[in-house]
Amino acid sequence: MYIIVEDDPSVADALESLLSGAGLPVRVFASAEEFIHSASPAPDDTMIVDLGLPGMSGGELVRHLEKAGATPKVIAISGTSSRTIARETEGLADVKILRKPPAADWLEAITA
Amino acid sequence: MGELEDRRTAVSEARFESLLDTAADGVIVIDETGRMLVFNKICEQLFGYTSQEAIGQNVSLIMPPEFSVSHDRFMNNYHRTGERRIIGIGREVSGMHRDGTVFPLELSVGEAKTADGRQYIGVLRDLRSRRAVEQRVSQLQAQVVHMTRLSAMDEMGAAMAHELNQPLTALLLYLQAVARQVRACHADAKPPSDKMLDVLDKAVLEAERASHIVQRMRQMVEKRDPERATVDLREVVNEALDLSEFVAQGATVTIRRVFGMTPIQVDADATQIQQILLNLLRNAREVAKESEERWVKVSIGSDDRSAFVSVTDSGPGFSEDVGKSLFRTFSTTKKSGMGLGLAISRAIAQNHGGDLMADPGGNGQGATFTLMLPMHHSDEAEEDTWG
Ligand SMILES: Nc1ncnc2c1ncn2[C@@H]1O[C@H](COP(=O)(O)OP(=O)(O)O)[C@@H](O)[C@H]1O
Ligand SMILES: [Mg+2]
Repeated sequence: MYIIVEDDPSVADALESLLSGAGLPVRVFASAEEFIHSASPAPDDTMIVDLGLPGMSGGELVRHLEKAGATPKVIAISGTSSRTIARETEGLADVKILRKPPAADWLEAITA
Repeated sequence: MGELEDRRTAVSEARFESLLDTAADGVIVIDETGRMLVFNKICEQLFGYTSQEAIGQNVSLIMPPEFSVSHDRFMNNYHRTGERRIIGIGREVSGMHRDGTVFPLELSVGEAKTADGRQYIGVLRDLRSRRAVEQRVSQLQAQVVHMTRLSAMDEMGAAMAHELNQPLTALLLYLQAVARQVRACHADAKPPSDKMLDVLDKAVLEAERASHIVQRMRQMVEKRDPERATVDLREVVNEALDLSEFVAQGATVTIRRVFGMTPIQVDADATQIQQILLNLLRNAREVAKESEERWVKVSIGSDDRSAFVSVTDSGPGFSEDVGKSLFRTFSTTKKSGMGLGLAISRAIAQNHGGDLMADPGGNGQGATFTLMLPMHHSDEAEEDTWG
């Protein structure tokens, strides 16, 4: 399962189109809170998390999952500067980062 | 002994008189009843009475009526209770000129106990000029706020980049999705499905969202139609230099002005022209600051068609590479630069029928940026009929 947590509806929808168009199973959540309340990830899930979520940030969500012992594959997406990204992902195990706007094919990057 | 004492008093009194009259401040001495005993030259100028007219009169003569009442009360109160309201403190009060003009004064009061009873010495300073300065400063500050809208644009640019990111991301992802599907259909020799059209429609929406953001940004830059007036370019430049001086407070860069004696009339929006100049001056100061000689030269010239303002600095100039993209938006060589200054400046210049040009300098020469504006023609109507 591919789990998208992204507050911008267009970005979320486009990402969903890309993944589901390739036949992949997708679920979309608009906030970290919404996701935590309604689902818990399985180890073979891939989570695509926007770092700049309102409320609980993407970084906090990933940290929260790590603490809870959930170990899905995590891909962070972000439109901020690399310095901000470094600050937001500090201390996280290994998070792949995709920067907005995409410079390459994200489907390949996500499924790689 | 007594004679010597007297002579000394006479001398010091004479000195006191002359001192009073050369004092930069107004000096008034009053007795316990408020009667004026001394009224120096400055007071004559301040209030419009000669000292002969003033001396012997109550000090309320030079106060607005509403103050003279409370002044009597203050003095009585002080004599009764010893409670000080002003003595030794100094405060801002209002004075009234003979012609009725009320104006702000700074008043410091000292007290002297003499054989003839208590006397009070008031030192008065006209606050009007200081007021004017303060007003000018706050005016400048307001303008600086307005002018630095361009530097706020730097921040705005960052915010815009951030906002543009979302629709661009969505747009590219939709396109990636469609491209994949089209390729897949192709491989299976199937016609493209309606779903792909849906995705394309969404892609178009995102492109529109992005272009709205750009339009909004453009509106902010072009906030209002230029307010054209015929202005003397030298005055416009001078004011920009004042502003720039004010913004760069305490900076160690020398500004050299090379202006002619004759007015140079152009039809322009002075504020926008100043925005250009502030940008050029900011850039020039930034490089001049790091240079050995630390100067910026601003010269104004004209021929019969065009007026020119050139800003040259003691910096190193710029390379051919930098020169190629200088005027492009977001072209910057600075860590915290947004690269909007020159782009916007040139747009404004061209909007005025002029242009902004750059000479790279180099080999020990600083860069020169030249703003060109068409000269004002007083007989435009005539020109129209002939042209
Ligand atoms: N006086 C100057 N001397 C040398 N280079 C300059 C000068 N003024 C501008 N430049 C170059 O032009 C670039 C663009 O300037 P500008 O559009 O004002 O944007 P910014 O100041 O934000 O970089 C600068 O980054 C700098 O490389
Ligand atoms: Mg600049």
